[in-house]
This record gives sequence, structure tokens and C-alpha cells, in this order.
Amino acid sequence: MQPVWQRCLERLEQEIPADQFNQWIRPLQAEEEGERMTLYAPNPFVLDWVNDHYRERMEQLLGELGMQSIGFSVGSRRLAAPVEKVPELPPMPRPAGTGAAVNLRRGNLNREFTFDNFVEGKSNSLAKAAAAQVAENPGEAYNPLAIYGGTGLGKTHLMQAIGNTILRKNPNASVAYLNSENFFQDMVKALQHKAIDEFKRFYRSLDALLIDDIQFFAGKDYTQEEFFHTFNALLDGQRQIIITCDRFPKEVEGLEDRLKSRFSWGLTVAIEPPDLETRVAILKSKAAQGGVALPSDVAFFMGERIRSHVRELEGALRRVIATARFTNSAITVDFAKQALSDLLAVQAKLVTIENIQKTVAAYYKIRVADLRSNRRSRSVARPRQIAMALAKELTSHSLPEIGDAFGRDHTTVLYACNKVKELREADQRLAEDYANLLRTLTT
Amino acid sequence: MAAQLTLDIGLRDGATFALFEPGANLPLVAALEAAEEPFLFLWGPVGCGRTHLLQAACHHHASQGGSPVYLPLPALVAQGAVAMLEGLEQLGLICLDDLEAVAGEPIWERALFNLYNRARAAGTRLIAAAASPPQTLPIALPDLRSRLAWGPVFQLQELDDAGKIAALRRRAAGRGLELPEEVGQWLLRRCERDLPSLLLQLDRLDHASLAAQRRLTIPFVRSVLGAATTPPDRA
Repeated sequence: MQPVWQRCLERLEQEIPADQFNQWIRPLQAEEEGERMTLYAPNPFVLDWVNDHYRERMEQLLGELGMQSIGFSVGSRRLAAPVEKVPELPPMPRPAGTGAAVNLRRGNLNREFTFDNFVEGKSNSLAKAAAAQVAENPGEAYNPLAIYGGTGLGKTHLMQAIGNTILRKNPNASVAYLNSENFFQDMVKALQHKAIDEFKRFYRSLDALLIDDIQFFAGKDYTQEEFFHTFNALLDGQRQIIITCDRFPKEVEGLEDRLKSRFSWGLTVAIEPPDLETRVAILKSKAAQGGVALPSDVAFFMGERIRSHVRELEGALRRVIATARFTNSAITVDFAKQALSDLLAVQAKLVTIENIQKTVAAYYKIRVADLRSNRRSRSVARPRQIAMALAKELTSHSLPEIGDAFGRDHTTVLYACNKVKELREADQRLAEDYANLLRTLTT
Repeated sequence: MAAQLTLDIGLRDGATFALFEPGANLPLVAALEAAEEPFLFLWGPVGCGRTHLLQAACHHHASQGGSPVYLPLPALVAQGAVAMLEGLEQLGLICLDDLEAVAGEPIWERALFNLYNRARAAGTRLIAAAASPPQTLPIALPDLRSRLAWGPVFQLQELDDAGKIAALRRRAAGRGLELPEEVGQWLLRRCERDLPSLLLQLDRLDHASLAAQRRLTIPFVRSVLGAATTPPDRA
């Protein structure tokens, strides 16, 4: 922090309420050069506000502190490139063979995402195998590769691991990783600055294009059109395309059919929510990455309680590790229980038998009353058994209590639980339904 | 009332970690001070210090030479000021207050989702505060909800009576004012017992003590707050 700006801040802090000070003044970054100072605001909105409300007073204060000239601009000291003057264009197309654009775009790949630290399990082994193939033979193995699955299951990790591997094997490759939103914004900017040709040239010259969360293309017709052409150009040149989506791409409403049909030219693989073993393995692996040896019983306890997605698992682990560090405690099951008590209490509140009945009924498009009725037809009996099994797995109610909630006795509940267990192994469809419901109820 | 209070306290005391009475929230405060978690989420009812902690985190980050920003989401959502989120990943720390304000606002949910992604890519830390935990916030975009639980999620525990007295004394000491334990107990028996109300009373006592050049004794406090406190027979 530069001394003059620091002194100015100290004065302003006395004059401006803390919330406003933290909202408008602290995000400003100062650059001092002799008697000249430039203040960078992170965006035009902050700049306008500061201009209207604080500029006069700041100029006065900075003048008293010896500054002769004060400039206000949008940008950041780190980049020292005011966005106003130099619009953020997509990087220039790579001159043939030099790989000039590589370094500009490589920044988008997060190097932490590798195959080595991707924890494999039943739920993601197919996706991982496909990804590894693509990383070894980009443009040849499966093109395009589409990875789909719920949020927080590791789609981005796998996708970026491919990108990182491609770059490791061929440092001159040009690999771009973007969220679909960035693609859209790059395109809008290019249109505004009449640089759409450069935009096209850049994206069509890549060796690998990685687009995350393509469901957000839905309804953006012009973006889809541009993406479609980029897509074709890359495929024609045998460049690799990888996309991720939060559901089976063909099921995304608002996505053009011709785009959907292109996706199916390559390989579409799913990532399912991790099973217990994988969750435990993820916890141990993440803890080890942080230099912490997580006892197996603790990993098992946490894996069993937190079922929704890997992000929540990671968040809970960080919570346990941080609390252990600050209280200087050993990580045991009791300690984890205590450290996560609020999280577990929230979950317990969400998962009631009533809630399970509602969720299961909605899932199978039947009425809650059907679940509690005497009807024995398959369309009702199976969901009822699943709801009972979920109630046993997710709540601590006794079997008679669960039976009561369904107008049955406890032997029926026991039978249902065994039946569902058996069916989950034999019937893929039912196993998926069960996993979906479990996920819905514990997210 | 909460907004007015922040404003007053902000000007008088500056919101710092030193002025925050941690009570049972020590692991949270320690995690905030350590400033290592890329993402952190804290939740709890109004009046238990969410805003104070976010502003203290800004203060702390700035004191290390960084550039933080604090975003009061209800006000921004009301203004439709989604442009405020642009480019914030260039800063070192982003603090989002009252995150529940964006729930059910598709544009804001999307914008925050994008901000989380950009912050992660840029290595910018993000701290969010809300009235309830990520799992029960009525956020429609699952991608955003899962990102909220990315780092540790802490519930802010309300202070017990002893903690509230300690908080009052700590705040008073920060102003160079000595608040004896028994005066704290007296306040807790006679006044509204939530911390924001108690701090308002401290404000009044501070002014009065300065004006009258008197120390905070029970008789003096009674004479100042007499009208505002609950008579013992109605308590």
C-alpha cells in the first residue's frame, strides 16, 4: 500500500460509515508516481459512484497530502491496464506455429485439476476412462466429449485435467477453457468492439476448446449459432472439443437441435453422485492434499452423513480441519460430530418422514395419500417401499414409527428395506431412482 | 434498525476483529483472521454480528495491503445494480452480506454463480453471510447453491448473557470507557437483551458520560437510561 493513499484512507475512514467505506473506497487500488496518483475502480459502476460521491473530497485530501494530479480509471493495479481504453478482447489469433496465444489462454486452466488428484469410484470411472483417452489422443479418441452430471460432482475437474494433460504433452498446444458464460461475454464484447472476426479466428484456431456448463447457452440463439460454427470448424480440423452439462445434453430445453445432434457424434458420459466408498476416498485424498491424516472412522462418519456433492464434502472437511487447528484438538469422530453439529442439525431438519413421502410421491408422480393408502398395485407399492427404505436410511426413527407413518407395521418396513436393497443391485433403473432421491433429500 | 446501527457503530468504533466478542464463535473468527480459506460461508440470525465480521474481514485484509470489497446485497438487488459485481475478481477479498436477498432472483443468482467461478479462477477469496445455511436458502440455481457450500460453513452462535456483557465491556474499552461488570449485569436485567439494542444503550451512555464527565456507575447509568428501561415491577 502506498503511503499517501494509506494516509488518505485513514482520513476517509473517519468520515465515511464503515459499510460505505468498505463498499466504495476500499476496493479502489492506488498507483503513485511521484506527485501523480491513479485510482483504479474494479468496474465502471464503482467508478461512477466514487465520482459522484467522493471524488471531490478525495481530491481535496490528496491535494493536501501533496498530490498534484489524480486520475480515476477502471482497472486494477495488478493488471495496470485500464479496461476503458483497451477493451478486453479475446486474445489475438495465434500466428501459425508460434503458439503466441497459448500463454494468454493457459491462465484459464487451473493447474490444480489433474488426473492424479481425481478420486475415481464406481460413479465416475467411465467418465474418467473416457477423459484419459481424450487426453492421450486429443481430436482422435472421442470428439466431442460431453460430460454430464449434477453440480459439484467433478465435471470441471475432469475437463480441466484433460486440458492440463494436453498441455503437458504438447506445451505448444493452444487450449482454451471457458464457462459458457465467458464465451457469451467474449462474443458480446467482440461484437461491441467490432472484433468479431478476430473472435472467430481465435476460437477456430484452437487445438482444444473446453466449454463448461453449456446448459447456460439455452435461449441464447446468436451465441449458439456462433458456437455451432466454431464447433464445426474445430471438428473439421480434428481439434478436440469437450463440453460439460448439468444434464443429458439432449434434454436441455432451449438448445438448438442441430447442436444437440453434433454432441451425439462423439461420446457422452455421465458422472453420478459418488457412493459411500468414493466419498470416503475423496475425503481422505483431500485431507492428505492438505497435509492432514484423516482417520478412517472420521472419513467414514463424514462420508455417510454428507451425501450431496463433492463441494459440500470438501467444505465440511475444511470446517473440521480448521476447527481442529484453532482449538488444537485431535480429529476424532466425536470431534467431527461436534464441529459439524450445525450442519448435521440442518440436515436432520430437512429429512423428515413427511418430507421423504412428499419427495418420493413427486418423483413418481403419485399422491402422498397413495403412499399411505392400502393400494397394492406395483405403481404405488414400489415407491412406498422406496420411501420406507429412505426413511430408514435417512432418519433415526424406529421401524414401528416408520411403519405408522405409512399405515403399516414394522415387519412391512423391514421387508421393504430388504426388497429395495436387493432391487438396487439387480435393477439399474431403480438404483438410479434411489440415488436421485437420496441426493434430492440430502442436498 | 440493523442498518442504522451498523452505520453508527461503523463510524464510532470501526468494525474490527478486536472489537468482536467471539463467545462460542472462536473457530469462525480464527478462520476469518487466518484468511486462508478461499471460500467461507457464515450464517445466523440478525443481530449476532454477521455484518461486523464481514467488515472486520475487509479491515483486516486492507491492513495487510489488500483491496477488499463489501457488498450489501439487499440494497444492490433493490437498485438492480448487478453491474457492481463486474471485475471484482481483480480484488483480493469479496464479502457478500445478506445473501438471501438474491434467492429467487434469476439474474442475481446467475451473476453470483459467475462471480464465484471468476473468483475461484483468479484466486480471490470470497466470504458470504446469510440468515440461513446454503442447504435451506431458497436459491433456485443448484450450481450456485453447491458453490456456497464449497468452503467451510459456520453457524454464528448467539452470545449468552455473560458473552453479551463481555461484548459490551469490550466495545466500551475500545472507546476508552470502563464498563464495570455489575453495570453490564444491570443493563442486561433492565434493557432489551439483544446485542444491537444493548449497544445502542452503550452509545447513549457513552455520550452522557462524556457530557457529564462521569464514570459509568449504576446510579449514573440509572439516571441516564431511567426512561428507556423497563421498571423492575413490570419486568
